[in-house]
Amino acid sequence: MSDGGRIVVSGLTKQYRKVRAVDNLSFTVQSGRVTGFLGPNGAGKTTTLRMILNLVTPTAGKATIGGAPYSQLADPLRHVGAILEASSAHKGRTGRNHLRVICAAAGLPLKRADEALELVGLTPAAKRKFRGYSLGMKQRLGIAAALLGDPKVLILDEPANGLDPEGIRWMRDLLKALAQQGRTILVSSHLLSEMELLADDVIIIAGGRLVKQGTMETVINGLATTERVRVRTPQPQELLKALGTDVTAETGADGALMVTGASAPQVGAAALRASVELHELVAEKPDLEHVFLELTAGKAEIR
Amino acid sequence: MNLIRSELMKIRSTNTWWLFGIGVLFFTGLALLVNLFTGDQQIGEAVRVASEPFQPPGEGAPPFEVDLARRQWELAHDMGRVLRATAANIYTSGQFFGVMFVMLLGALLFTNEFYHQTATATFLTTPQRVKVILGKFATAGIVAGFFWILTTAINLAAGAIFFNAEGYASQLGEWPVIRSILLNGLAFALWGILGVGLGVLIRSQIGAVVTGAVAYVIGSQVVTGVFQLIYFLWIQKDWVIKAAVVWPSVASQVMVSPEQTLIPISQWWVGALVLVGYGLVFGLIGTLITRRRDIS
Repeated sequence: MSDGGRIVVSGLTKQYRKVRAVDNLSFTVQSGRVTGFLGPNGAGKTTTLRMILNLVTPTAGKATIGGAPYSQLADPLRHVGAILEASSAHKGRTGRNHLRVICAAAGLPLKRADEALELVGLTPAAKRKFRGYSLGMKQRLGIAAALLGDPKVLILDEPANGLDPEGIRWMRDLLKALAQQGRTILVSSHLLSEMELLADDVIIIAGGRLVKQGTMETVINGLATTERVRVRTPQPQELLKALGTDVTAETGADGALMVTGASAPQVGAAALRASVELHELVAEKPDLEHVFLELTAGKAEIR
Repeated sequence: MNLIRSELMKIRSTNTWWLFGIGVLFFTGLALLVNLFTGDQQIGEAVRVASEPFQPPGEGAPPFEVDLARRQWELAHDMGRVLRATAANIYTSGQFFGVMFVMLLGALLFTNEFYHQTATATFLTTPQRVKVILGKFATAGIVAGFFWILTTAINLAAGAIFFNAEGYASQLGEWPVIRSILLNGLAFALWGILGVGLGVLIRSQIGAVVTGAVAYVIGSQVVTGVFQLIYFLWIQKDWVIKAAVVWPSVASQVMVSPEQTLIPISQWWVGALVLVGYGLVFGLIGTLITRRRDIS
């Protein structure tokens, strides 16, 4: 079962009346890794995830999890846990009963409901009705539901939506812990800095099409953006003279100098030669947000 | 089966079941009182008029009025018929509103999934859509059966006391009466299935409940009225009035009426067939739609 958690999407297409929400999309999610699924609003992320989970019927193409379409998994909850938007519980039902209903339908022992509540820290609110839950508690209940079958694969659609900072940290720690146990995690999100901390692989889509797929490093470094160095010094003119003519520089809003054309060690060495006092010297690496905006620029028009 | 167990848990874990239970019990009690009173009247009337001969209406009366009067006289003079009709009426008390509640509960089984956004969880747990909808049909049938047993038990107890007090047998030895009681159970189950189908067709919670209740309560009055209007103004044939059975709420009343009444009605089995037909059609449509629809 080495590829028990591999998600393969091939040629997936969804045509709504006038909009092609997902357009011939293909990618592979490797098992045992955290994959960030990124895209601007309306890129087709949610539709894609729902097609993988057999909730939305594709116009063309198919998606498999561990080699089989979701609809043909014998015990889907034991393979795949999912937290999707627009998923909720009956307002008048307790959190515990919500989970027990799912356990019963999935043929899982009912005590799994209590174990899952314990895992997400909801035990004190187990017998409270869903209408009394805060947004954070609702998200925790959703995660508890996804973990009922102890699945190898987790699919999460914007799990951090509406969470407060404490909730977001909790979510990050939980997902990291789950990933360390060797689970496959496919998570869509807008929070790019969050993704950069969490994901091993990245899939970026825009306008329903694949833009970029790869490991976090290759995607971030793949863009040949020139390195920039941020320098703070009381003697900018002396430093620039020492750096020579290959270097361009501009002064940032906060008074720091943004230097292009020289590496941080080169800037440091030049400063030493010219006896220039430095207060700050930082090599500005391209980050995921930068790469994301560059890759999806112009492709995120409202359709 | 896991799915039915899960669906029953869904009902049990909210207020729905006891709110509907109270509704069913209240209307059954009310209907029972009315039926006991009417039964007492009819039996008394039958005893009173037993020796009166038939008197046709005045000269020049149109033939269908003579027919009507003769039928009225015949019906009132058949003591066995009066007793059987009364018994069936009492033992199926509360059917009219009982099956309406069952239908609405069936609709809620489905609309709740969308109103409370639990459809995603339900279909993730059971990706085979057809299994989910069949589970809901079965659950609606089981809950309907429960309500039928509950109301029938109350009706049987009250009916036994009533016939004892009137000085007649309980009529439970009469097949048409037993048949009515059993068919009443079938009516409950079929209305549960109809309700689920209605919920599939009208996904909005409020929409399904209002449509269902209005079509049920007002619909049967309107349909009966329209057919009677056609009868009196246009085609004076019994089958016109009997044709009201095409409306499902009329059909379910017809199938539990063992005897002819003043207003001609179809045979019980016609009502049963009509309702089974509706059950099948709604079940099929519900299954097909559920199988294809995107859940988002």
